[in-house]
Amino acid sequence: MKPVEVKTSIETKGNNKKFSLTLSFPLFGYVVKRIFIFLPTLMAISLITFILISAAPGDPAETMLNRNSSGGEGQASDKLATDKSYQDLRSKLGLDLPVFYLSPGSMASCDTISRIAKADHREMLDRMIYNYGDWDMISKYYGNLRTFELAVLMQKKDSNTANSLIDLRNTVGKIFLQADVANIAPLIQHCSSLIITTPALSELNKPIGSLQASMDQVTGNATTWKRYIPTIHWNGIKNQYHRWLFGEAKWFGEESDPTKSRGFVRGDFGISFFSKRPVSSIIWDGLWITMLISVCLILIEYIIAVPLGVMSAVKKDSRFDRIVSTALFVLYSLPSFWIGTLAIFFLCGGDYLNIFPPFGIGDTTMEDGFLVRAGDLAYHLILPLIVASYGGLAFLSRQMRGGMLSVLRQDYIRTAYSKGLDPKKVIWKHALRNSLLPIITIFANVFPSLIGGAIILEFLFTIPGLGQITYAAVIQKDYPMILTNTMFAAILTLLGYLVADILYAVADPRISFSKK
Amino acid sequence: MAEIKENKQADQRYWSYVRRQFRKKKTAFYSLYVVAFLACVAILAPFLANEKPLVCKYKGEMYFPVLKDIAVGFGIGQFAPQFQNVNWHELQYDFAVFPPVPYLPMNQDNNNIHSKSPLEQQNVPSKRWHHWFGTDELGRDVLAGMIHGTRIAMTVGLVSMMIAASIGILLGSLAGFLGDDNFKISRIRLWANIIFIYMGLFYAFSARSYAITDALGSSLGMGILQLILSFAIFLTVMALGNVILIPFKKIPFLGKQVTVPFDMIVSRMIEILTSIPTLFLILLIISIVRKPNLYVIMVIIGLTGWTGIARFIRAELLKIRSLEYIEAANSLGFSNYRVLLKHAIPNALSPVLISIAFGVASAILTESTLSFLGLGPADTVTWGQLLSYARQVPQAWWLAIFPGLAIFITVVVFNFIGEGLTDAMDPRLKQ
Repeated sequence: MKPVEVKTSIETKGNNKKFSLTLSFPLFGYVVKRIFIFLPTLMAISLITFILISAAPGDPAETMLNRNSSGGEGQASDKLATDKSYQDLRSKLGLDLPVFYLSPGSMASCDTISRIAKADHREMLDRMIYNYGDWDMISKYYGNLRTFELAVLMQKKDSNTANSLIDLRNTVGKIFLQADVANIAPLIQHCSSLIITTPALSELNKPIGSLQASMDQVTGNATTWKRYIPTIHWNGIKNQYHRWLFGEAKWFGEESDPTKSRGFVRGDFGISFFSKRPVSSIIWDGLWITMLISVCLILIEYIIAVPLGVMSAVKKDSRFDRIVSTALFVLYSLPSFWIGTLAIFFLCGGDYLNIFPPFGIGDTTMEDGFLVRAGDLAYHLILPLIVASYGGLAFLSRQMRGGMLSVLRQDYIRTAYSKGLDPKKVIWKHALRNSLLPIITIFANVFPSLIGGAIILEFLFTIPGLGQITYAAVIQKDYPMILTNTMFAAILTLLGYLVADILYAVADPRISFSKK
Repeated sequence: MAEIKENKQADQRYWSYVRRQFRKKKTAFYSLYVVAFLACVAILAPFLANEKPLVCKYKGEMYFPVLKDIAVGFGIGQFAPQFQNVNWHELQYDFAVFPPVPYLPMNQDNNNIHSKSPLEQQNVPSKRWHHWFGTDELGRDVLAGMIHGTRIAMTVGLVSMMIAASIGILLGSLAGFLGDDNFKISRIRLWANIIFIYMGLFYAFSARSYAITDALGSSLGMGILQLILSFAIFLTVMALGNVILIPFKKIPFLGKQVTVPFDMIVSRMIEILTSIPTLFLILLIISIVRKPNLYVIMVIIGLTGWTGIARFIRAELLKIRSLEYIEAANSLGFSNYRVLLKHAIPNALSPVLISIAFGVASAILTESTLSFLGLGPADTVTWGQLLSYARQVPQAWWLAIFPGLAIFITVVVFNFIGEGLTDAMDPRLKQ
């Protein structure tokens, strides 16, 4: 508990009015200034979250298409068609772009590798570059390998060639996963011997020959030293981060292509990998519910915590104070997910009492009228609000008690008592106002914890808010959803800080907006 | 010498004062006993709940299977062939002494599946085999799970707090002590070191990325060896670079001293990290980890939990920095680092104990929250995981009450200790 430093009380009659008059304009400027201070923080948060997300394993485009990448069987046309749709999806999601403005790497590393469609091919090529260093040769080898694969797929299957063709396709699939020439050479050897023994496949002689040649060149021209020359490549604004944050569409005027991304700052949060709908269409409802619950919680907590804290501070060391303090301390340590589980267990149907609904926020429709809807919503939210509020309540009133105690020790309070002021007035007017300041600062800590707590609360009671959406997205590895939700959680937190700043300034006349 | 001695005595006096004050707080003092009890349960978990007998005589020979099991876990020796893949409960022993709870948390008792209540008739040979805290849906013993869960909770609390405390103390003390204008280095050194850090990371990790991942894939030991090698490379690059810089510092323009606003940088880092609600950040990191195991969870909790300690020690050092004895040490010509390490940090550290106690509580709470959400370590049984089973079986009150109670008690005792330390150490509240 930090001691509150209150130097002098500024409590003169009439001063308040003047203060609120002079407040209006500088306050606006102050808020604008605070928002500008928040912007770099928000940018840093977006950078951190985006880089974390882009380190996620797996290939989102592959997940969205739900297909396996082995491709030993299947007709050439099918394969080409799926490859095409896969490529299209990747460019639609912007995955064919480099991740960031700068890509650090070595002289050997290739800056266009993100354009290669398949994830496992990218991995293989990356490792080949690491092994042999020369991208030109490796890309030629990769091109020849693709040509050969296509040529194999184009061959007609008949009774003579069927076995050899199946074997060839499997071998080609294996070659794609090998990055070490020592492993590739025997596989290619196997292919050419198959082609030689099957006269019907003589068409394949040429592509296998060029593949063989390019593989030899890869080892012949190996430049592993390039791996040890650090470089930083500048990608310009054509990168995933820029695309996600600012979008590709034109800022002014009509955009001809409606599929172009508009970017986070313009309200386009990307496409959910799981539901394949735009994230923005899913998130607003959840945001509304979470905001409603958080604001309700803040109000409940402050309305109960402040009087409780003041009373136990005034009656310090009395039985009331001891009981309340201990009870609050225990409440503070009581995990809300346990109490929530118990509450659902014993109060919401099941084998015991049936007082509250165990989940959801009701299923009223717009036709039911406002009162019915509000009543139903309140009925569904009572238990969640109780479960989520007691922890913060306990924390707040402990802080309130501490703050009040140190104010009550001040000289001016003693003066107020000794000049015969009504004790109630001393406590509720003189002392309370000064001890409110730390409680307001704590708002900046309570609010983020409420947003974070929303995940547990909404999971427990199946409330379709921001937390529940985030939880589902984490389970489904739906990265655009997770990214957007995290960003909104951060934005809400920053808004909480802003509100705390403004409240603090309003409550403490010593803070001036014009200076500083 | 005499000076040092006196110093020590004063120190002892302070700590004995703290100890006396702490003893006065009854709840905090008894909480220490509870923590000791939990620590004992955590350490002795394999002896308290195990499917194997502690001592047994089998075909005329004496065995100590639990001890043997621990030895096997460390890679010393192997079980005799007649004990491999056996059901330890059904062997024909001459005699056997089983642990108090003769089950392992992951063992499924096929006779007692579908959540058997502790109060109802269970399908067990005798009271000795009774599931005192019931079973879960798969027939796993809840008490065994809770005993082994103590181990997980304690480890998480300790390890993640150690990670958080080391980051927090390092950054917080540098920020608080150096402030915005106490850290001066030459211009060339500032810029060159940024490049060196990049080069060091490049040669140590980026250029060796596949060497490291391959080694980690083959065995953990080889991987760690490669990582140590990488760190050595990094340090060598940094050291070499700084040696090369020495002549450059003589050039007036490059050698000019500039200040690094350390406090600003650290404060900004803390601000950014605290602006993302912790649970969101943890979930984000978990979503990109392939398989979250216990170690990953501990590291994540540690990496996200240092801001509180850093703030605390920063504020403490800002206060200490302006005290007279630091001024005296400075005027004696001691170097910044000596003053920081020998005089400032020791005085700021004792209050950090408080935030560590609270931090352990919140780390345990975070881990059980994650387990409750089904995102915790997948390879072990934890308290939060047991509690989450209660959501699937609406009759199983024992799954809802016992694990939750364990979480609550652990959290509350660590909070009591933190509270007791606050009161004992803070002379301002003495009056």
